Amino acid sequence: MLNIKNLEAKVDNKHILNGLNLDIKPGEVHAIMGPNGSGKSTLANVLSGKNGYEIKGEIKYNGENLSELSTEERAQKGIFLAFQYPLEIPGVNTNVFLRTSLNSLRKARGEKELDTLSFLKIVKEKSSELGIDEKFLSRQLNVGFSGGEKKKNEILQMKILQPKLSILDETDSGLDIDALRIVADGVNSYKNKENAFLIITHYQRLLDYIKPDFIHVLSKGKIVKTGNAELGFELEKTGYANFI
Amino acid sequence: MKNFYDFKVDNIIGLSSEEKEFRNKELDLFDKNGFPNKRDEAWKFTDLNTILSKNFSNITNDYISLKEKKFELIKEFDHNYLIVLDGKLVSNEFKFEDKNKVSIKEYDYKKQISVSNQNSLNLLNNALASGGYSVEISKNYKFKKPLVVYNHFSESIKEQIINYKNSLILNENSELTILNYTDINSKNNFFVNSFDYLKLKKDSNLKNIFINNNRCSCYFHNYLKSDLEQNTNLDNYILSTGLKFNKMDIDINLNEEYAKSSIFSALSLTSEEHQEIKSCINHNFKNCQSYQKIKNVLNDQSRGVYQGKIFVKQDAQKTDAYQLSKALLLNDNAEFDAKPELEIYADDVKCSHGSTSGSIDLDSIHYLKSRGIPEKKAYQMLINGFLSEILEKLPEDNLKKFLIEKIGRQINGY
Repeated sequence: MLNIKNLEAKVDNKHILNGLNLDIKPGEVHAIMGPNGSGKSTLANVLSGKNGYEIKGEIKYNGENLSELSTEERAQKGIFLAFQYPLEIPGVNTNVFLRTSLNSLRKARGEKELDTLSFLKIVKEKSSELGIDEKFLSRQLNVGFSGGEKKKNEILQMKILQPKLSILDETDSGLDIDALRIVADGVNSYKNKENAFLIITHYQRLLDYIKPDFIHVLSKGKIVKTGNAELGFELEKTGYANFI
Repeated sequence: MKNFYDFKVDNIIGLSSEEKEFRNKELDLFDKNGFPNKRDEAWKFTDLNTILSKNFSNITNDYISLKEKKFELIKEFDHNYLIVLDGKLVSNEFKFEDKNKVSIKEYDYKKQISVSNQNSLNLLNNALASGGYSVEISKNYKFKKPLVVYNHFSESIKEQIINYKNSLILNENSELTILNYTDINSKNNFFVNSFDYLKLKKDSNLKNIFINNNRCSCYFHNYLKSDLEQNTNLDNYILSTGLKFNKMDIDINLNEEYAKSSIFSALSLTSEEHQEIKSCINHNFKNCQSYQKIKNVLNDQSRGVYQGKIFVKQDAQKTDAYQLSKALLLNDNAEFDAKPELEIYADDVKCSHGSTSGSIDLDSIHYLKSRGIPEKKAYQMLINGFLSEILEKLPEDNLKKFLIEKIGRQINGY
């Protein structure tokens, strides 16, 4: 599904990613761990198509060259990034945002746009699965939301938009243990053979709830070690020092 | 320099010799000053004289109104209406109201309310005004539906100036929502210089909304003066996007206790539009409140100006006054100028002011795009979001819906 070869990324002439390789197949869950400044969030941003990076190397998504697609086209083709810091957008109603978003995806795929009623049915179902109060959806997008509410809102968006590749950028940071469980349940219930996850995290904690198929250690913009779920426990004990 | 205008009191028919004398005096005063320029503090950011001289070759006040055509009425909400053509009242309809409670007349220039504001455009209005209406609402009468004032202009008017005065009096404990709806089909450039007087008697409540239906190359100057008695409320909403030039000069006098007034503005300007709000809120009595929030979205080479003054008289204790202007600049060639001014002589007051301007947040655009929303739509959502704080404050559901949709259409193509 996603094939990254020798990816380099620079910001203001500073190298952040230095020849990163990664392959993700449908149905797989990959975790990327690594110390601060190793390039984890840059990888997420680059995959989402954020401006401001000078990029070399190859990123193929279902055979298509990702660098040629705009951010919205990537989303329309099924790439979703759960932001580390979801943005607060004053004056934009959460429900209106969700509906505009879902209908933009449907339109791009040549599907019929949903009317208010059928949309609300979907939102109702998905938000109750995540224990999100409906009142919360009539508020302005992320404005005044707690850290946990913002992260839950990201997962809600994921469940509504139904991406093929979900990138979770430190979705666990700032979550208490209950919220962490809800977020993890959200991911687990959405996981299937067709879709894949790239989970970026600092801590083993999230991986207690979402079992990864692969764990990669990122250091200085490169993957320096890849292992199975056991690698997480090892990292938890020894820290990153052995790998960097 | 050759003048680009030629005004004559004699072009106005039916004036008494006294009136002529008064008007000629005012015209002489205007001629001494000419159109305002930046030397005038009230026009600090705008040289109207130069703007007009570039766009007009010979402005006159010699125009003939065409016979009234059939005008399109707004269908989206029930309303009463006045139809005004070139400033003259041509018809009215108050089918939702008790007709005995509303008096509608042509403006009586013999009882002229003197416009003593320093601005030379007001001298010109005193000299040349004709037409206009006087509306008075009876004591204790609360309007059931809004009143729309349709402002139309003859298509034959070109390079001319139209001056008129209106007055609106709300008697004790009366209530009204008025929509000043300017609808111009003409592509010609002309100048409209109007004066509106509002009087709110004890316990009355007025919502005063300005909107413009379509883009046009007209130049507007409106001086709005209001006197508020005890426990009254005046809310002004300025949504007049689409005019080539527009200056609202607003004086609000809070003359008795517990009078309250606000100015809200949401404008989305493009091309070379120029919109200006100059306000002066006079807190002349204790325990009064004023609130101003101005939001401008500026694209292309458009220009927004806000000059907001709060004046607090020595015995106007416990005054609560607030003003804030915010501009969202979408283009490097757009400009927003703000000049907040506080003049306070009382010592127990709460007054605050602020002004910000900035460009659109690209991280927010990225966030929306990352959810599949096309770039253009993402911009529109953020612009809408920026203005929505003001739009949410609009009164009456159906009217509000109508206005929000209209403004939504104006925010096209960021």
